[in-house]
Amino acid sequence: MLAVLTKKERDWVESVIKDEEIVKYMENGRDFIDDDDIWERLQRNTKPDKNRIRDIIQKSLEIQTLEPDETASLLNIEDPDTWHEIFQVAKEIKRKVYDNRIVTFAPLYCGDLCVNNCLYCGFRRENVVIKRRRLGLDEIRKEAEVLAGEIGHKRLIVVYGEHPSTDAGYIADTIRTIYDVKVKTKNGYGQIRRVNVNIAPMSVDDLRLLRDVGIGTYQVFQETYHHGTYKRLHPEGTLKSHYQWRLYCHHRALEAGVDDVAIGALFGLYDWRFEVMGLLYHARDLERQFGIGPHTISFPRLEPAANTPFIQATNYRVSDEDFKKIIAVIRLSVPYTGMILTAREPASIRREVLPIGITQTDASTKIGIGAYSDRYTDQEEDRQQFLLGDTRSLDEVIRELAQMGYITSFCTAGYRCGRTGDRIMTLLRTGREAVFCKLNAVLTFREWLDDFASPETKAAGEQVLKKEIEEIKDKLPQNVYEKLLEYYRRIEDGERDLYF
Amino acid sequence: MKNCLSITGELRMARETSTSELFERFNVVAKEIKDEHNAHLWLIEVFGKRHSYVAGCKEDSFLPPEVIYINKRFAVVSSDWDRIPLEKKEEVFSLVRDFCN
Repeated sequence: MLAVLTKKERDWVESVIKDEEIVKYMENGRDFIDDDDIWERLQRNTKPDKNRIRDIIQKSLEIQTLEPDETASLLNIEDPDTWHEIFQVAKEIKRKVYDNRIVTFAPLYCGDLCVNNCLYCGFRRENVVIKRRRLGLDEIRKEAEVLAGEIGHKRLIVVYGEHPSTDAGYIADTIRTIYDVKVKTKNGYGQIRRVNVNIAPMSVDDLRLLRDVGIGTYQVFQETYHHGTYKRLHPEGTLKSHYQWRLYCHHRALEAGVDDVAIGALFGLYDWRFEVMGLLYHARDLERQFGIGPHTISFPRLEPAANTPFIQATNYRVSDEDFKKIIAVIRLSVPYTGMILTAREPASIRREVLPIGITQTDASTKIGIGAYSDRYTDQEEDRQQFLLGDTRSLDEVIRELAQMGYITSFCTAGYRCGRTGDRIMTLLRTGREAVFCKLNAVLTFREWLDDFASPETKAAGEQVLKKEIEEIKDKLPQNVYEKLLEYYRRIEDGERDLYF
Repeated sequence: MKNCLSITGELRMARETSTSELFERFNVVAKEIKDEHNAHLWLIEVFGKRHSYVAGCKEDSFLPPEVIYINKRFAVVSSDWDRIPLEKKEEVFSLVRDFCN
């Protein structure tokens, strides 16, 4: 790939952004992030008294989105005992909304060609040490066969660079290819049942194309919500330098009928308290304009990448202690949302922060292009966007989760049953979704244990299943319990993909 | 002379207007069925594996509902099919089928 854009790339870049698909969502020509206002709120809510914190906690426990001043107060807590209380509440909220299930997924990188030049990214255009590649559909199929047939994943997040060779048409083709994969397993068959995408901002028309092939969640991170920092890190003239085109991409997705959208910030680019406020404002604007908040929020920390000195030079590195606070404050601020912790983080951190609000995590993760079917085991800087902190297998992670009392869920039922958008918002706020989560976690965990588990993991998993089924028997109506048992037996007999 | 983009835009607008009509009419029938037969019935639009609720009275019962596919684009869903009279079911299916033809 050349450091300078080719004519074809330049023409494509010029055709992407549509101003009319930005301004329609803005108010008086302004976007919803007011940098000065955020800083003022952070400054005027310092030293919050205990009664105010108690009131905020109560509101979070009622699964209501917080006001900016309330989140600012939480971010300003200094007392360690109060932080301890916040961590406990975060844990309680997660249980209330999602119960004790953790959904697992895997990333699948389909290409690393990119027209952008973001200072912090290993895949930036001018980074000559990266080997550039775009997977063909046969290669995609092979990747999906390993993921679905050997590891046992049912849910992917598919990742693409922003480039004409990985445009909406290519993305749609890859998704169809992945959904078509069906692999015989020990007791049944493996299939990818939900393909989420992490892709660049798109027009409404392109998003409709992706909706039509049945994408799960549309995930785009703003990276940093701070306008000045965004401008500095995304060089002028690049496609990604347009702050508002990115900021309103979820609005366009909702307009296009993709009603599961995911937001995130890359922590380490700017002040972490500011970024948490940015995420809250983002969630609130989606709620205000569409009645639908983010399906998930992500909070990745900057990790080392090949030939990317910015990462070592940043002044905004987030400590482990602050990382825990970020997770807890997001959990309290947007209590209904799913929260994703990835294998960027080392196992020890994942173990520590998982209980305070995480709902999804990845495992057996490989982020090199074509890495699953290549079966390489080491990390290779020149084919990865960044370096992973945790390369454990799905089997190991599931065993650890089981030992911690969590049930791993491969559930993908929600978006196949119309439980999306504003409907799932209601179910999450009322705690009803937690019931669906538990039922589907039991069924999909049964499938995975029968098809893929090592003997040790199977033993740990059986104990969790026994406890979960007992709990369902005690708490849910008899007819629901009986239906669960019927499905459970059918799965044991080799049927797959039964769900509530 | 209109360019291709504006023709596509007009076609989409026309399609969306008629889809709204279908949803409105479906809402009326679903409400009648709910009132008269105490049965929930809703319409979903099928996008690959994604099934999006688009109209009708949806009930998020813990028991899995039964999905009846009308065509590649739409399906009608209920947990209470046994409470809906045959002629009413046919009226609903025809409504969706006629819209698609």
